[in-house]
Amino acid sequence: MPGMAVEGYVVLSALLFVIGLIGVLVRRSPLVMLMSIEVMWGAASLLFLTFARMWAAMDGHVFTFMIVAVGAAEAAVGLALIVLIFRSRHKADVDDVRALRG
Amino acid sequence: MENGYWLLALIPGLPLVGAAVTAAARNRWGKPALAGTASTMVGLAFLVTVAALVRYLDLGGGALELSLWSWGPAGVGLGLLGDAVSLWFLLVVTGVGLLIHIYASAYMADDPGYGRFFAELNYFIFAMSLLVLADGFLGMLIGWANVGLASYLLIGFWNQRDAAAAASRKAFWVNTAGEVGLILAMAIIWNAFGSLRFADVLPQAGQADPEVLNAIALLLLVGAVAKSAQLPLHVWLPDAMQGPTPVSALIHAATMVTAGVYLAVRAFPLFEAAPVGMTAVAVVGVASALFGAVVAVGQNDIKRVLAFSTMSQVGYMILGAGVGAYSAALFHFMTHAFFKALLFLGAGIVIHHFHGEQDIRRMGGLGRQLPFAYWTFLIGTLALIGVPPLSGFFSKDEIVVALLETGHPWLWALAVAAAGLTAFYMTRLFCLVFTGPAPNAGARGRAAKEAAAARETEAVAYWNPAPGVHPLKAVPVLLLTVLSAVAGLLSVPGLTAVPEEFLGRVLGHYGAVPAAAAAVAPEQAKTLTIAVLLGVAAVAMLLGVRLYGPSRRAAGRPMPLEAALAHGFYFDDLYRAVFVRPLRGLAAYVGQVIDPQVVDGAVNGIARLAGTLAVGLRHLHGGYVRRYALALMAGTAVIVLYFVLL
Repeated sequence: MPGMAVEGYVVLSALLFVIGLIGVLVRRSPLVMLMSIEVMWGAASLLFLTFARMWAAMDGHVFTFMIVAVGAAEAAVGLALIVLIFRSRHKADVDDVRALRG
Repeated sequence: MENGYWLLALIPGLPLVGAAVTAAARNRWGKPALAGTASTMVGLAFLVTVAALVRYLDLGGGALELSLWSWGPAGVGLGLLGDAVSLWFLLVVTGVGLLIHIYASAYMADDPGYGRFFAELNYFIFAMSLLVLADGFLGMLIGWANVGLASYLLIGFWNQRDAAAAASRKAFWVNTAGEVGLILAMAIIWNAFGSLRFADVLPQAGQADPEVLNAIALLLLVGAVAKSAQLPLHVWLPDAMQGPTPVSALIHAATMVTAGVYLAVRAFPLFEAAPVGMTAVAVVGVASALFGAVVAVGQNDIKRVLAFSTMSQVGYMILGAGVGAYSAALFHFMTHAFFKALLFLGAGIVIHHFHGEQDIRRMGGLGRQLPFAYWTFLIGTLALIGVPPLSGFFSKDEIVVALLETGHPWLWALAVAAAGLTAFYMTRLFCLVFTGPAPNAGARGRAAKEAAAARETEAVAYWNPAPGVHPLKAVPVLLLTVLSAVAGLLSVPGLTAVPEEFLGRVLGHYGAVPAAAAAVAPEQAKTLTIAVLLGVAAVAMLLGVRLYGPSRRAAGRPMPLEAALAHGFYFDDLYRAVFVRPLRGLAAYVGQVIDPQVVDGAVNGIARLAGTLAVGLRHLHGGYVRRYALALMAGTAVIVLYFVLL
């Protein structure tokens, strides 16, 4: 759809991405961090779809499908980890999980 | 030309099978079975050689050939070539080899390494027949290296002795130096002629550049000099006498040390085409003939006398090849194989009789106790001195006559001098061992035992208290005595000329080298040479008998230059100072300084560097997931900014 106004979508996508980023950086609950990552995924997907519509090409749609699939897998793995952390520590704070400290 | 004469492959093949079988069965079979197998294989190889000889004579011209395989380019491969020269060598290798196998079956009877001995002896016959049968330089080199290994194994046969182990290593190193020369020569031949087969290279020898031919000839000569114990690479041969006496007889007298003669004769077109080739060969030959004869005078170990004598006699053969008297050189090779093998086998009987004593100054009077050894050794001695009508007279004189005929009066004079010395040292050896008073019997046994224990002579390994001569020892000695006596009749001037006619099929008649203008007429040369040689030999023998005969003073008399002669003019010390010490020093420096400091230092330094880096870098890993996320973000931002701004 050449000529469509893309600015709004791009600005929305950027806002969503920054919100997600701040969420990842400032929150210490792994559950919230995971949800913030999902928001960033969404921002990226939105941008792909926007430009796919703009150029009337399928590439962006394909990438979005990929993102949805990978995101689902990531959520599954991430949630499983969080469940395990909860089981062993009875609370979840990412700053407490530092077994990889060098 | 007959191709595919497959019987040729049996000549090296049968002894190889024998070596494998006796090696595998050495701890399972009894001694008669082991010796029988090994001897049978060599005997069959001898019969096959005779069959090949008959076939070769039937052919009239051309040679028997059998190609085994080839690698890629034409001219690089392994094939067998049975012509007059190789069959001549094979007759001696397998014939004398068979006699020595039989002798050794009795001589080694008390040795715990009986089976190993025969396996190695058979392996030697395989390697030597491959050397002389090969149809090119490559196959010859394979045989050449294998006889070197067989020689190493057999010199060090009594490998518990330090002296034997050191002698075998020395022989191997010196021979390796020769092989380097041979390999370099082959590389140049390949470059110049595009082939390594004799049939391709030799006929077009004259077409190469003279400088190239000089290099080829001199490098081939290095190989020949090392294998044939000629000056200055002779140092391994006297030490090689640490091996069992049958080994000294077969390898270090009759066959392997003549491989250099074989090479000089086989490749004679290359030597003749090279401007300095023939001169170099002749000079090496005459120098070795004279040097060996001089040093032999001052040696007191019976086997070392014979070893230096071998060096001297092989020097005659090389000298003959150096003036173009090829058939005379090969004839002397054959007669020398007979009488020198006889002398070594006789020396073995003597050494056993004296319970391992090898010092001729402590022997004497053996003639009355062992008439058999006395008479056989006497024939061998007279044949070596060149007393007519024994074989050495005809073969040696043929070489010396050729020197005069081809116009080399100086070489002739030196060869005559060496012949006089030969007569002297052999007379000395014979008189000291067989005549005069016998050493005190009771004291002798004790003293010899102690001496043998101290000097690690052969008595340490086995003991033969029986006073007589075992029939298995006597028969080969008798046969060799007969051969030493009559082989000369093959080439009686004016009557027979078997070697010249037979070998002439390949070599042409000597005289291929144009005689110099000053050359003496053949008839005069013959008469003069024979008269002078006989006169010199007679004087030298009389002198020897007078000095060392039955009426000699008790101990060996001091002679001029005694120390220098006994040490072979200090060649060993020279090599020790020039090669061995610097190498040992270098090895010590590398082992004690370079390896711990430079090599280990580099390795340890790298390890320390990695450790230091790791200690610093581990602080980056704080374990805070959010810090990782921030670092990720910052990195992405830097990359994006880079692409946006630039």
